[in-house]
Amino acid sequence: MQAWRRLGFWLPVAVMFVWGLLVLVMHHDTVRETAFTLFMFIALASSLNILLGYTGYVSFGHIVFFGLGGYFGFYLLSQHNWPLLPSALAGGVISALIAGLLGMAILRLRGAYFALATIGINEAARAFADNFSPFGGATGMFIQFSAYEPYGGPGPALWASFIYLWIITLAVILVSYLVKHSRFGLGLLAIREDEDAAMVMGVKAPRAKTIAFMLSAVGPGMIGTLYFFKNGNVEPGDAFQLHMSIEMLVMVMLGGMGTVLGPLLGAVTYVGLRGYLLTTPIFQNLHLAVAGLILLLIILFVPAGAVGWVRSRVPWLRRALE
Amino acid sequence: MKPGKWYPVIILVALGLLLPGAASPVLAAGKTKTVVIGFTASKTGKFNVEATRQINGLHLWMEQVNAKGGVKLADGTMVKFADKYYDDESKKGRVQELYTKLISADKADFLISPYSSPLADASAVIAQQYNKIMITTGAASDSTYKKGFTLVYQTYTPASRYLTGAVDLLGKLNPSAKTLAIVHEKDKFSTDVVNALKAYAISKGYKIALFEGYDSGTTDFAPFINKIPQPVGAIMGGGHFADTTTLAKQLYEKKINASMIALLVAPPEPKFAELGDACISVVGSSQWEPAAKYSPESAKKLGMEYFGISVADFTKSYQAKYNGETPSYHSAGGYVAGLLLQKAIEQAGSTDTAKVKAVLDGMNLMTFYGVIKFDTTPKAHGLQVGHDMVYIQWQKGKDGKPVKQVVWPEAAATASAFVCPAR
Repeated sequence: MQAWRRLGFWLPVAVMFVWGLLVLVMHHDTVRETAFTLFMFIALASSLNILLGYTGYVSFGHIVFFGLGGYFGFYLLSQHNWPLLPSALAGGVISALIAGLLGMAILRLRGAYFALATIGINEAARAFADNFSPFGGATGMFIQFSAYEPYGGPGPALWASFIYLWIITLAVILVSYLVKHSRFGLGLLAIREDEDAAMVMGVKAPRAKTIAFMLSAVGPGMIGTLYFFKNGNVEPGDAFQLHMSIEMLVMVMLGGMGTVLGPLLGAVTYVGLRGYLLTTPIFQNLHLAVAGLILLLIILFVPAGAVGWVRSRVPWLRRALE
Repeated sequence: MKPGKWYPVIILVALGLLLPGAASPVLAAGKTKTVVIGFTASKTGKFNVEATRQINGLHLWMEQVNAKGGVKLADGTMVKFADKYYDDESKKGRVQELYTKLISADKADFLISPYSSPLADASAVIAQQYNKIMITTGAASDSTYKKGFTLVYQTYTPASRYLTGAVDLLGKLNPSAKTLAIVHEKDKFSTDVVNALKAYAISKGYKIALFEGYDSGTTDFAPFINKIPQPVGAIMGGGHFADTTTLAKQLYEKKINASMIALLVAPPEPKFAELGDACISVVGSSQWEPAAKYSPESAKKLGMEYFGISVADFTKSYQAKYNGETPSYHSAGGYVAGLLLQKAIEQAGSTDTAKVKAVLDGMNLMTFYGVIKFDTTPKAHGLQVGHDMVYIQWQKGKDGKPVKQVVWPEAAATASAFVCPAR
């Protein structure tokens, strides 16, 4: 594969690379915080896209990996004094392992049954965290303010979190592209179009779906650790927020499911739109309802999302918009 | 008329026009200063009711202090206050981003916490990082103040002391009651409260017959209510406004009997009266009540300073500003957060963080809200150690409508508590 020769590969990578670099050069805390929120959603949406976009399996509870990975990473960080980066990596690994185990069980379900199962898993994970003493039960875990000292103080620690998130986001986008353009990815796309036909054609659907599920769980697990480290604590209520799963779905659908650039575009648009809705008196209590309405309109009229729509109407842009 | 005759008039008019313009910038630059207080407010989401009252209280304080000309600093500068805030949606997600913006872009000089402990925890990291003093209100969890922060100060009585007084009240009300059923929201604040409550009740010889947590957002409490053994001495717990109100309603509908029902957060809110008969006899712990008896006289008895508005004036001015709405303890918490900053700046004679912090560290005074004193040990810096809870009970007024009465401690009581009647 010669991915580096394709414009569609370079566009999202270059956008994210330059964006992160600009934040570092500007070195302004407000800009960093805004970018952190956006990068987090871009990486979460791109991770979900590996499952939703390439296999067509709708996960309503994908935030469970953000929560479980974040919990595990934060546990290592706060209770065993692990440094941030190894803790985040461990959070990603444990998320992938859990996804592997869950995938073997629930990826046998299809359509609405799978979607319902993912909601159940999110609630089960929250109940687990609520009652698991090593994770602090309902009160969760926290780190002392002095925990930021090894990074040079709280300011540099927050910058370190941002840089790690930037790298993870780039990595997730790269993985998303490589999966899409691999033989394995073609198998996933075949599953999305017709799973039975794909199996007849030799695609080992259960294994392929499970690997896709695991890949889609790594990023959220690492990001969860970074997010909770930055906040200084973790609690079940913050770790397993179902509405975040729905927002991730909206981002993927808005930008274009099954595309690499789509989740990036969808996340930026949705976060911007949410900011507008929240500051507009008429919509501020209804922003989730508006998100739901947008999702409905996209499914009805632009099921391919923004990138998919442009690709279908402007053929010469297809090479650039992957 | 010769032109020269007009010269004095022209000079006088010119002076008249120029002097005020010339004088005012000097006065403005040298004698007045605006201090920006930054915070996020849960204008939407599950904390909307509590947070709105909190902001109302803070705005009332700001309006009053500015109307009086502000606070005078040591160099004669008059400080006036302005606020800058954003909606945090009752979620932690953007709290750090918004507080960073408040400090970096909006140049907030002092900070007030968001409502609730989880959100305050996230904002405290940013406050400490930028060397900004933060007064927390609506953030009762003890753990927030045990993380090594040195610039975060709590106005609320900590969660560990929220319901312990209810156990004392039960002992007085029905000495034969020996069992407690605790049903609580499984969040950080409520769990902190009931863990301390459980330990305290056991130390007083009570048996915990039920200790169950429910998820935030629960609306059907039947599975928990059905597990409450009958008879039971008291039912305690709850969580935040919405769930606790529903729990109280369903306890009434299912005709559960206990000598006392003591719940968190919701009972002190005036809206709790909308439950009608279901609210009668329910006890609630409150940070403050309009019937509280804090006054310059009671401060004098304790040998401490009294600062600020009286209880009656606070209640009256709040009602006047907010269409007759009775202030709750959330409103008082918002007001007192501003009042403490005012006192600290006034006494420090400066808005410098180190000088204001020194005053807050040594603060030991009484306000309309009660006594304020902070723990200054490294182990729990900023934890509130002076303030105490009061306990209210909803009783039937002469017109048959629910009336809130302070029933504990006895010194502050406006009426005697009664045992929950058979349902």
